Amino acid sequence: MSEAATAQAGTLTEGSPYGIPSRKLAIWLFIIADAATFGAILFAYGYLRLANPDWTKPFAFSPTIVNGIVMTVVLLTSSLTMVAALAAAQSGRTSTGIRWLGVTMLLGTVFATLHLREWFAMIAAGWRLFRNPMGGSPLFGATFFGITGLHLLHVVCGVIVIGVIALGFRRGRFGAGHVETTALYWHFVDLVWMFVFPLVYLMNVR
Amino acid sequence: MTAIAPRRHPTMKLYVVVWIGLILIVGLEVLLTYERLPAGTLLACLLALALVEAALAVMYFMHLKYERPALFWSLIPYLLFALVLMDHFWPDALRLMRQRLHGP
Repeated sequence: MSEAATAQAGTLTEGSPYGIPSRKLAIWLFIIADAATFGAILFAYGYLRLANPDWTKPFAFSPTIVNGIVMTVVLLTSSLTMVAALAAAQSGRTSTGIRWLGVTMLLGTVFATLHLREWFAMIAAGWRLFRNPMGGSPLFGATFFGITGLHLLHVVCGVIVIGVIALGFRRGRFGAGHVETTALYWHFVDLVWMFVFPLVYLMNVR
Repeated sequence: MTAIAPRRHPTMKLYVVVWIGLILIVGLEVLLTYERLPAGTLLACLLALALVEAALAVMYFMHLKYERPALFWSLIPYLLFALVLMDHFWPDALRLMRQRLHGP
């Protein structure tokens, strides 16, 4: 189509200055904004921790840290399966791509299950948003459940979105570009955990 | 209309190497935690390792290394600037800690 004809149709467009589709730029902007959100709550956690000399360090190696290590390995592995899904989708191997997306969803579900199991164990031990059964600062529960809860919400949303994208990809409604956008989000969820695990778990070891 | 040219991506072998590197860093973080380092030293070590992990994930898994440099320079410095601005709260946290330590 000539430039004049394009202009006549009212759809004159320029190439992206970043060389990426607009949906990919949009997810990058979302990721940066969400990173600032997680950054803010992690800074708030650091502030409260520093300002409270009676901060509780409740986590023992087993089960909490062992559970945390397993969760971390599961989430890191899900990032690897996600790049395998993307590579398959971009090379036109639809069924392989869907299979890897399924594995990623499964690993995300395992992560969420392990996380909820840990939460329920803590709640059974008397931990609440503003109650500390160990007698230290009651803010520990608020920061722990707040930070890990926001991350868990991202994981659950990610698993649902991957399922929707996989379904649409199988039906030919979505393409490799949609898988790539979802993969960027999923890697970001993984990236956030790389800060949550050392700062919220390892820094609170007994 | 300018078409968006597909950009090259790393190989699966490189992804696996990055994944192994990330797992090793997590192992190192756990080992350092049980070395009983002073809290400030441990925090600095864990943050440095987490930043290395994040850089690996962003550059390789999220392909930022393979995008145009303009994308990197349009996103990352602004995020870092926002995070650096949050550092202004630390003196107040330290003041509160000292007040509680020396209080009645």
